[in-house]
Amino acid sequence: MRTYETIIIVHPEMVGDEYAAIVEKFKKVLVDQGSEILKFDEWGTRKLAYMVKKQGRGTYLYVAYKAPAPAIKEFERRMRIDESIIKFQTVHLEKGLTIAPVAAVAEGTPSEDEGEETEAEA
Amino acid sequence: MAYEKKPARPAGGPRRRFTRRKGCRFCGDKDLTIDYKEIRGLRYFVSERGKIVPRRISGNCAEHQRKINEAIKRARNIALLPFTSAHSFD
Repeated sequence: MRTYETIIIVHPEMVGDEYAAIVEKFKKVLVDQGSEILKFDEWGTRKLAYMVKKQGRGTYLYVAYKAPAPAIKEFERRMRIDESIIKFQTVHLEKGLTIAPVAAVAEGTPSEDEGEETEAEA
Repeated sequence: MAYEKKPARPAGGPRRRFTRRKGCRFCGDKDLTIDYKEIRGLRYFVSERGKIVPRRISGNCAEHQRKINEAIKRARNIALLPFTSAHSFD
């Protein structure tokens, strides 16, 4: 079992029930293949940086999971078949999933002083 | 002499066109992470045309430049960053 993360771009015209059905369908594919979902996130519909299958927008899904290697193959095969998935990318997380909330992206780095070493003394 | 010889640069150091921070920002700040999903952090290392900023400009060390490189390519692959700005749409 290794840890992977996959980003899936769903067709932007899939909304409501259709969309929910796709989410459930692919979650089920993962679980059926003997993987354990660690994190699931819906990023919502975003503008794509370039056209994918003639679409300028896409709905992003993020899922991190532990899975045996053959499960990835099957999961990706199913995604290729489904027309409502316009793109996906799976990355192997060598260090496992770090529990760092991605949502904590409040403000950028406020002050940038050169050569300043901040040694945290807690 | 038939041609003008360019004046040699002073020995103090090479001419710098850009005033950049010296040193790798990721080495200086251990809290900074490189993540392909976090395009806000990658934007700085991508030119307006979508090209990856070279190490001599960005000031990254080899290790972190390599990670940036990989992160940008992953982000491009999943349409978070553009490959080029040439073909803009809507």
